[in-house]
Amino acid sequence: MSNVDRRQFLKLVGAGGVGAGAGFMLAESIKHPVEYLIPYPIPPEEFSPGIATWYNSVCGMCPAGCGISVRTREGRAKKIEGNPLHPVNQGRLCALGQAGLQTLYNPDRLTGPMLQSGERGSEEFIQTTWEESLATVAHRLAAARDGGKNIYLLSEGVRGHLAMLLERFMDGLGSEHLMHYDFAHPHALYAANQRLFGEHTLPYYDIRNTRYLLSFGADYLSNWLSPVHHSLGFGHSRQGTDLDRGRFVQIEAKMSLSGAAADEWIPARPGSEGILALGLAHQILAGGAYTGSDFDDWNAALAGYSAESVAERTGVAAKTIVRLASEFMKAEPGLAIGGGAVDNHSNAVDTLVAVNLLNYLVGNIGKPGGIVFNSDPVVGGPANNRQANFIAMQQLAEQARHGAIDVLIVNNTNPVFTLPHASGFREALASIPMIVSLSSFMDETTTMADVVLPSHSYLESWGDDMPQPGLGFPVAAISQPVVSPLYNTRATGDIILDLAGKLGMKDSMPWDSMEACLKDGWRQIYERSSPDASDFDTFWRDVLVSGVWGEDIHRQDTVVVDKSVIDNIDVAEPEFSGDSEQYPFFLHPYMSTAMYDGRGANLPWMQELPDPMTSIVYGSWVEMNPATAQQLGLRDGDLVSISSEYGSLEAPVVIFPAIMPEVIAMPIGQGHSAFGRYARDRGTNPLQILAPLTATTSGSLATHATRVSLAATGRRAAPVQTGGDTRQLGRNIVQFTGDDSSAGGHSANLNSIPIVVKTT
Amino acid sequence: MQTEVRQARFADVNDDVVRSLVVTGRNYYIALGIAGFVTLTCFFFPWFYQLYYGIGAAGMNSPTVWGTYLASFIFWIGLSHSGTLLSCVLHLTNSEWRKAMYRSAEAMTFFSLFVAITMVMVHIGRPWFIHWAAPYPNQMGLWPNFRSPLMFDVMAIMTYLTGSGIFIYMGAIPDFAAVRDRTTGWRHHLYVLLSLGWRGTDKEWHRLGWAYTFLAVLIIPLAVSVHSIVSWDFALSIVPGLHQTIFAPYFVVGAIYSGTAGIVTVMFVLRKYMNFEHYITKLHFDNLGKLLLLLSLLWTYINMLELFTGWFSGTSTEYEQLKYKLTGFYAPLYWEMILFCAVAPLLLISRKFRTSFVPMLILSIAINIGMYTERFLIVATTLSRQYLPGSWRVYVPSLVEISILVGSLALFVTLFLLFVKIFPSISIYEIKETMGVPKKHGEHHDT
Amino acid sequence: MNFIDRFMASWRKYRKPGYYEEFDYAWTMTVDLDRCTGCGACVTACQAENNIPIVGEKELGRGREMQWIRIERYWEGEYPNAKLSFIPMLCQQCDAAPCETVCPVSATYHNQDGLNAQIYNRCIGTRSCAVYCPYEVRYFNYYDHHWDAPLEQQLNPDVTVREKGVMEKCTFCVQRIRQAKDHAKDDGRRRVKDGEVQPACVQTCPSEALTFGDRKDANSVVAKKMNDPRAYHVLEETNTLPSVVYLKKVRANAD
Ligand SMILES: Nc1nc2c(c(=O)[nH]1)N[C@H]1C(S)=C(S)[C@@H](COP(=O)(O)OP(=O)(O)OC[C@H]3O[C@@H](n4cnc5c(=O)[nH]c(N)nc54)[C@H](O)[C@@H]3O)O[C@H]1N2
Ligand code: SF4
Ligand code: SF4
Ligand code: SF4
Ligand code: SF4
Ligand code: SF4
Repeated sequence: MSNVDRRQFLKLVGAGGVGAGAGFMLAESIKHPVEYLIPYPIPPEEFSPGIATWYNSVCGMCPAGCGISVRTREGRAKKIEGNPLHPVNQGRLCALGQAGLQTLYNPDRLTGPMLQSGERGSEEFIQTTWEESLATVAHRLAAARDGGKNIYLLSEGVRGHLAMLLERFMDGLGSEHLMHYDFAHPHALYAANQRLFGEHTLPYYDIRNTRYLLSFGADYLSNWLSPVHHSLGFGHSRQGTDLDRGRFVQIEAKMSLSGAAADEWIPARPGSEGILALGLAHQILAGGAYTGSDFDDWNAALAGYSAESVAERTGVAAKTIVRLASEFMKAEPGLAIGGGAVDNHSNAVDTLVAVNLLNYLVGNIGKPGGIVFNSDPVVGGPANNRQANFIAMQQLAEQARHGAIDVLIVNNTNPVFTLPHASGFREALASIPMIVSLSSFMDETTTMADVVLPSHSYLESWGDDMPQPGLGFPVAAISQPVVSPLYNTRATGDIILDLAGKLGMKDSMPWDSMEACLKDGWRQIYERSSPDASDFDTFWRDVLVSGVWGEDIHRQDTVVVDKSVIDNIDVAEPEFSGDSEQYPFFLHPYMSTAMYDGRGANLPWMQELPDPMTSIVYGSWVEMNPATAQQLGLRDGDLVSISSEYGSLEAPVVIFPAIMPEVIAMPIGQGHSAFGRYARDRGTNPLQILAPLTATTSGSLATHATRVSLAATGRRAAPVQTGGDTRQLGRNIVQFTGDDSSAGGHSANLNSIPIVVKTT
Repeated sequence: MQTEVRQARFADVNDDVVRSLVVTGRNYYIALGIAGFVTLTCFFFPWFYQLYYGIGAAGMNSPTVWGTYLASFIFWIGLSHSGTLLSCVLHLTNSEWRKAMYRSAEAMTFFSLFVAITMVMVHIGRPWFIHWAAPYPNQMGLWPNFRSPLMFDVMAIMTYLTGSGIFIYMGAIPDFAAVRDRTTGWRHHLYVLLSLGWRGTDKEWHRLGWAYTFLAVLIIPLAVSVHSIVSWDFALSIVPGLHQTIFAPYFVVGAIYSGTAGIVTVMFVLRKYMNFEHYITKLHFDNLGKLLLLLSLLWTYINMLELFTGWFSGTSTEYEQLKYKLTGFYAPLYWEMILFCAVAPLLLISRKFRTSFVPMLILSIAINIGMYTERFLIVATTLSRQYLPGSWRVYVPSLVEISILVGSLALFVTLFLLFVKIFPSISIYEIKETMGVPKKHGEHHDT
Repeated sequence: MNFIDRFMASWRKYRKPGYYEEFDYAWTMTVDLDRCTGCGACVTACQAENNIPIVGEKELGRGREMQWIRIERYWEGEYPNAKLSFIPMLCQQCDAAPCETVCPVSATYHNQDGLNAQIYNRCIGTRSCAVYCPYEVRYFNYYDHHWDAPLEQQLNPDVTVREKGVMEKCTFCVQRIRQAKDHAKDDGRRRVKDGEVQPACVQTCPSEALTFGDRKDANSVVAKKMNDPRAYHVLEETNTLPSVVYLKKVRANAD
């Protein structure tokens, strides 16, 4: 399943949808549309036991929206692989995507509707019927609507027709309080794009074709935006010696997975990355790479960012700054991206403007290997403007505390886990008379619900998706059920439609099922795009078979930055909570590959996936520089207590060679108090002790703005590590070759005479 | 030849030995009871638990997939040397002093081998399929893998077990006859069977002598090969620290060393608790002491050699092994082993020490503790430090393992206790040979 | 030829490294260390494909992981110049496999596709193969594993579930190879086409660090990659002649 580039992809899709790559397996799914898929013992006539049937769908494990192909046998899902036709992931999946089956077959799934029978949070529920529970909720919603009371719907970030359904549903309820909440949503990046490019969207970052990637904290290979797509791009530009090899530079306070993969890893003082970016911009101007008519304005705006002053403020050597700028300028093309910690400081928006500015100054906008703008989503609105930032979540809590919220519907998002204690969110929920949760699992937020309407897993539901960020051209994919539902659950869309039906919203939502709604919506896509298919049914079938649809439309924009933007170019020093005397360390909470924002914690495969950087499984830990550990007299495995102004927690020390001495890092994802047997009471959640500081202008939580102190507890609690020693001891296990291909390696002779490796 | 032996009379020999078979004191039953109980609770019970639960009951892990069970296996195989082997050598060299102790020494061989084989059963993951390691014709045409050193092992151990079994049995036939003639009831019938109709004719004595010598010649190379082959289980791997040409002699010397120390321990016990003071004398302890000293020096030499070659190789892998052995996680055990097996035996230079029973007992036990440690370290230090540092991991035995280790000792003791009630535990006729023919009324000729 | 000659001839053939070259395939994997990001997708993909049990925290703490492919990590240098390299480690499917010689019951042996096959049914659990393997890629079933219902519904029907006392390891996803060969046969082809079969780890690798194919086919992707000057074998000095070929990580010379 080779690289499918954009053109190939369009050819394949344009050709009518039957994916050559997925071959006969996909053809199977024409024969067996899933609605007839019934597990044994009464199999359908034409169903051959022992022969796998593959269904194409969309990964629901993170917002990247990769396409999947699910292998089923005898009505059970056996393996998820990437859909080779889907341009986002081209057949590949990340570990979390692979583990999706353990969401479907998770032993702790909710099996039917329930009513809270104990106190909120007690997890005491009684089973009920859909009829009853839906009636209860509908009745309550009707009363609230008619009584002019506030109804809130807090959903995970959804796209496509489900997003549209939620909009219409809330419209029908006369409520404006439809909010999407994703912990990892890059609010600051949206705000920065808005400011610099005038668009509140994510563009396409063409890592594949860039020759020089400057990543400011973005862990693009692990969890930033679309990790599988980025990894494909990364792999492509690492052609070794055959081709021109792209270079990757990572700037961050703690080495991430992407930092490990980079050719150069540069630590910069936390929150100073934007200053560094402006320092580079200053050098770029000085180097004559920018020739715009407003050159003088830029020059004036960046005058204060000489290499020396920037070096002082960021801790990156002036020499390095000059070199990075010159390498970036000369690269054809170079690309600067920012995320992770950079997205989560008080000055995040300014920082990301500065990072994007680098692309702008060297003219990489709208070019392959640079930043490419996406056209509008095909269906649904641009869902991201519904994303609730921290301020919005706090307002929700505030409203709740004032008794202004009558009903809160939560759709598969877990703010109780991902918001800091200091937000008071969990406590505020107590003042909401009615909370309805549409989750598949008893997560922390669902424990607070009065009514639980458990939704299908993504492998049992109909839906569609328009990946964000897009790929510079419109892409949409259908999510279809690959197995018949395991339990007495319903798809989110169907629950909404059921409620809508009961609330008399048939006018705006006339469909009986999510599937019908999708078909209706896709009819418009069919009409708009006039593909080869002779009629809609053929088109629909083709889309189901290939799992994805796309159009060869590209925007050709040129961006001209406003004078007012230029005048306001500046990156303020970051703000931190806690004074540096009492709280000497910067806390760096990060999302790991396996856990993402904590949703991986209930999947045993993810618990057992060794963290690549530390090889730790099943736990939490705190990483620190060897010098810091030495200074504090700490050893690997010592349990320390980590305190901020807003709380404290305990975790074992892991000495980590690539982290700044003044920074300590903790993975996010563990520390669940609910969420099933694999997640519960395991490790700690660093988010809980964060200060409620926000990034200016984007209003998102500045997760990296908390200072902490460390104190040894005198106890030990070494985390479980699968790896042994991390030194090669001259054994040439991982071997290296120089950048220069011809001089690099000896000509391979794999059966050469055994060589003996000397120590030291 | 010392005088103590001569003080016994011909008839006393028979009496003493038969008494040891027939008259059973309370102490014996207590000892047997304790040994049997410990065997049951410390060996069989944990083993059954392990069979039910899986090898996970032991402490082994990846990559240290071998542990105390295999160490015990080597240990018992080692202990099995010197018994029969020593007996054969001494027989061929006509060493008179052999005669009082060889029977129990050979029994040690036999039971050590038995326990060693049991340890294999405990060690492997699916002992219920152990027969797959035996070459037998089957309709699948499946044979064991004759390239495997483990297969060599199966062959060698089985041969040694058979050889030493026949050897000990054959040597005991005249004694069985002697006992037969002095017992009544079921014992009589048992010894009638065991003595195979021995009448003591010239022809029989001639054949016995010939066959005995023949087997003695056969068993010496066999014994040497057994532990060489056991060493190949390790040395034929490419694991740093195991892949050593010195391993075969190293194992053989170590085996004879621990076996000889084992004999000293057993002889002390026999002498003390079976009233064999007349037959097992200072002479035996003196001679065994000299042998132990020689073996300890050889053993020390080979150990130094191992360190030297490790250092000399200059490879990261061998060098790390060396460093790890001397200073790593298991280093305290290493130094304990050096103390017990290389330093303490230097006391044997003193004749006074060699002829003192209790110090010799203590030393012999210390040597075997040291030698067990050696076997443990061969497995544990090497397997926890192989080629890929990323998979290094130490191993600590679990309670089940330790219990089975203790239990296997008890199993050995139980078997030995049963043995002394069935086999004349010293050779009646050969003891008499050393005594010279009585003149009259129990007085002896000088030789 | 008399019996001795015949015996010696077959023995020589048997002893010849790479004797399977006379057979149809020589399956090979290449691992580009310059591309591997250490993301672990391959680890989870392999677990899903091959019914690899969930071991649990306690057992992992005792060092009994089962993952057939693992990502080893090696650090060098000190802050701020610390560098981390990953290397996926899986059964190297050695042509001169030390694990094979030691198995007393031939439960692990070399098949005609150049694969180091592992016959779970035949294994008696001596664990010698794991000792002999220099790559530490053999995993032992220390006990019977358990899947909390309904997780067991995911188990791949094409792959067995191993019982306690049995050794297991990466098979190069032999079930997929067999299937591909069957398809080739059904199509009336003699050989499997390059790219037609991909093990689960290769299939998912997001950075395409892994490739798989038949090195006997000179035009296959793996055959070409093996000619890359970066190609090498891990622990080449042990002379195991692996079928997994690594491509050296490129160290950009930063000035
Ligand atoms: N051509 C050909 N014909 C053969 C044979 C052959 O080799 N070739 N083999 C012969 C032999 S040896 C046999 S045994 C027969 C087998 O022939 P059958 O007895 O017909 O066996 P199956 O075809 O497996 O069908 C059994 C039916 O029971 C259903 N079933 C499964 N579980 C249950 C249950 O719990 N309760 C109930 N009520 N139903 C259940 C299954 O869905 C299936 O429909 O075929 C014979 N016929
Ligand atoms: S990045 Fe991973 S989790 Fe996210 S959609 Fe893609 S495969 Fe799924
Ligand atoms: S999936 Fe690929 S990139 Fe990720 S760890 Fe495995 S080999 Fe490396
Ligand atoms: S890597 Fe190890 S298990 Fe695999 S064939 Fe080689 S020696 Fe055997
Ligand atoms: S563990 Fe199994 S495969 Fe390995 S050597 Fe023993 S019997 Fe053979
Ligand atoms: S080839 Fe197959 S069995 Fe081997 S590591 Fe990859 S996925 Fe696992």
